[in-house]
Amino acid sequence: MIRLQATPPSNVDDAIAMLQTAAAIELGTLPPYLYAKFSILPGTNPAAVDRLGMIVVQEMIHLCLVCNILNALGATPQLKAPVYPCTLGDVGPPGGEPLTIHLLPFGPDSMAQGMAIEEPEEVPPYQVVNLLMASGGAMTIGQYYALVDAFLGTLPATAWTPDNNQITDDQFFAGQLFAVNGYADAHNAIQQIVSEGEGAKDDPLDFQNELAHFYRFGEIFYDKVLTKIPEDPGYQWGPAPLGVDWSAAYPAIPDPGSHDFSADSKAAQAAQAACNAAYSGMIDALQLAVKGEAGQLGAAVRKMFELRMAAMAALQIPLADGKNVAGPSFLYTPTGSGASA
Amino acid sequence: MSILETPRIYFTGQMIWDPIVTNNYAEFYNEDTADPAPPGDPVADFRKRAIAAVDPRNWNPHGTHRSNFLAEISGVDVGGGLDTSDPFVGAPANFLGMLVDAEPYGTFSSQLFFDAIQFGIAGGYRVTCPRRWRAMSRYINFNRNSWNTVKAGIASTIWQTSIPKDCGLQLDPHDSPALQALVEALADDGVLGLTVRWNTYRTIYYDDPTVRTNSGGQLSIDAQALIAKLNLPDSFQPNPARSEMVGVIGLWREGEPACEPGDRSLLAQLPNEVVATAFARVTNDVLVIDLGNSVTEVDAQLTKQDLGTLTVCAMSPDGSTVVEELGTLAYSQYSRCAYLATSGIVELPLTASAASLAATAPLQVRSGGAVYLAEEVVRAAPQTQQIIYLDQGGDSVSATLQVLSFGEPAGAGVTVTRYTWDGSTATLVDTAQTGADGVASFDVAPAGQGAIVQYIFTAGADAAEPAFDPLLTPYIYARTLPNDSDIGAKAATWDNVYTYVLSKWKAMAPCMDNWLDLDDPTQVHAFGPVLKKLTDPGNFEIYRYMPVTRDMTEGERLLLWTFLDAPLEPGAGPVVWRAGAAAPKPRRDLQALSRLARS
Repeated sequence: MIRLQATPPSNVDDAIAMLQTAAAIELGTLPPYLYAKFSILPGTNPAAVDRLGMIVVQEMIHLCLVCNILNALGATPQLKAPVYPCTLGDVGPPGGEPLTIHLLPFGPDSMAQGMAIEEPEEVPPYQVVNLLMASGGAMTIGQYYALVDAFLGTLPATAWTPDNNQITDDQFFAGQLFAVNGYADAHNAIQQIVSEGEGAKDDPLDFQNELAHFYRFGEIFYDKVLTKIPEDPGYQWGPAPLGVDWSAAYPAIPDPGSHDFSADSKAAQAAQAACNAAYSGMIDALQLAVKGEAGQLGAAVRKMFELRMAAMAALQIPLADGKNVAGPSFLYTPTGSGASA
Repeated sequence: MSILETPRIYFTGQMIWDPIVTNNYAEFYNEDTADPAPPGDPVADFRKRAIAAVDPRNWNPHGTHRSNFLAEISGVDVGGGLDTSDPFVGAPANFLGMLVDAEPYGTFSSQLFFDAIQFGIAGGYRVTCPRRWRAMSRYINFNRNSWNTVKAGIASTIWQTSIPKDCGLQLDPHDSPALQALVEALADDGVLGLTVRWNTYRTIYYDDPTVRTNSGGQLSIDAQALIAKLNLPDSFQPNPARSEMVGVIGLWREGEPACEPGDRSLLAQLPNEVVATAFARVTNDVLVIDLGNSVTEVDAQLTKQDLGTLTVCAMSPDGSTVVEELGTLAYSQYSRCAYLATSGIVELPLTASAASLAATAPLQVRSGGAVYLAEEVVRAAPQTQQIIYLDQGGDSVSATLQVLSFGEPAGAGVTVTRYTWDGSTATLVDTAQTGADGVASFDVAPAGQGAIVQYIFTAGADAAEPAFDPLLTPYIYARTLPNDSDIGAKAATWDNVYTYVLSKWKAMAPCMDNWLDLDDPTQVHAFGPVLKKLTDPGNFEIYRYMPVTRDMTEGERLLLWTFLDAPLEPGAGPVVWRAGAAAPKPRRDLQALSRLARS
């Protein structure tokens, strides 16, 4: 799991800083999940594609919700695209190494990584949060959010700015994305984010009775449908298979951002450039969207489609070794507006 | 058995609609030729016009046609009344379909193409319903929300599809008594599968509930804001509408239409149709009435109209005299609260003698001397093919109608009469007699050119000549797509493919660009196998069929496929615009069908 170092916020600036970190994590999960999804051969692994697609969409929504909270607190969300491999701020277990996030093609390793990112704490998060509030320390993403949530609940109504640069579901993500105009909305947003990622206490289902991300990754990893059983603990993996074909994936190299493409074909280099341009355009449009510019979420979604097409092209171009291909490196370069402007 | 019997399962929530509506208007689309209008308008110019027309009419030029549920299971009834403690309650209801009007100028031919409906999740409580037939819109009620006249906001409609139990229908009941009861009931030989019926109402646009008319400042403000977004370069700006929704999952029995309600039809009464057509069934000494589409909401809080206490009466055979009052329905039984709890289905316990009488006496629903609903005892309903697509010069299709008498399949020898309806006049076409199963068949032949024909029907030899009313009249649509053999005969060059096929899609459906650059020959050619699969007539029913509007002609397909099958010509480059596209074609007079909802 990702463990974040934090102490209970003592003022709004602290909370804003924690939420900026949360936004960076939500944004940072998109490339590894997309890399795995893109690398699935077209027309194969429908159950895995479906589950990964839902996770990606929900991560986009989580990012927007965090930005809505930031805007409601009068802050300006700042999107920072990480370079992979990276830790997304993980401090690791006591005495251990941080979880390093890689761009991995579809396979057991990428699904295990997804489970690791989304892994819930065994103990109920909010009880743990109460303990952490006293002492601070390393915590899961869910606990981290709970810490922010607990502080936000103490703020007076005057701390919130209603209708400030909010992104709603009027165009995308119907029923899942809503404005944050006060603490009640922020609390609902945090609950949605945490439950969709980790599930509810002792329950793999989120608040909408859908499987949380950790368990969706688990279904793919184990190639088993998470199935309800009458006896404890209430669920088991299988026996029905999900229908995963690990071989039905492009032979994509891990972490293409670390690969030296100078020895590869011009086509491969051009494909990488196209991917990075689309990704950078998406990030910049997202940045403008969360700053309140009308229509920019639609621009970001359009760039996302471009990225998908560019990735499909890139994944069909052999590298110099004649065996492998490369998916998008997700390297951000400013496009002249948005995040870096 | 039907959804009016138990077990049945209720769901409630919202439905999201994201259709492209540019083809709703003659200035942009020719229904007969299935081409953008006017012919030869450059793509860029067409898109500019389409965007400019957002204020006040063309509200979603970047639509995708995708339509989905935001809903969950809200209750069950296994015979003991509403139960919200079943563990299936709260499970998500997932549906994703493509909303397509066979007759785009009007509102009576809406249909949802989809691959599956799923209630619950894999591994848990679940009902998985693979598509056998499209979900059809029927019994549009233009009186439903008269305070909300923006676009189609005034109307409600019934959607229905059915899933045969031998077509992949899967139930995972675990310890849910309701799902266990459904599994048990499905084992009955007379049960063909499950029916899913839902009602959508109170539709809002621009995600702005304050916009309630087609004129006024706020609509224009919202429209102009959308136009500003649409004018952002390289962006995608859908503008979905959303409706309230209630629904029912129940048993589909032999003799029932698959894609519209069967049972006993209690028709709305002219002139005002205060209560829209409902459906009833007597079973186990209970009269069950589906009022899901029937009672108006009078305000934005969705308060149900108080019609007073409704009295259900058994009538004399000619419907003129009350034989017996079977019982009453208090307002609390059809109020908003009751409506959401049981999706508009109400029950009226009967004595054994009353149930016996009700089985063979025409029913009426009355209040204070007014007759709101009256049973049409003998009635025909299309079995599965409410909308038929044909190709000019292609094969005819047999359309079958199930005739019901008191809600049960009529016997042999009932005359069913077919008429065409042109928006104002019914013209007799032919008649057919039912067989022993109560089914009458009609041959539906393609027109001599591209055309959309509405057929309406009556049952019974002495039935009066009908005038079409969606709450009263059984009907089907037949859309003949032109052959376009001249297009099919053209050389399969990129120039021709773009000009005569892809530029039409690019103009009318910008959402396709999200998937594929339609003016890039290299990309189009590279995706040839996928494009051929998605435009294959054999895949016409699938969710991802292209074009989503189902208006590709045989000639267009031949030209595209020939291009995709051949090596890409050297030097083919992206097309900005090729002049001299489709020549103007003769166009028939437009049918005057429900244009109000397109304003």
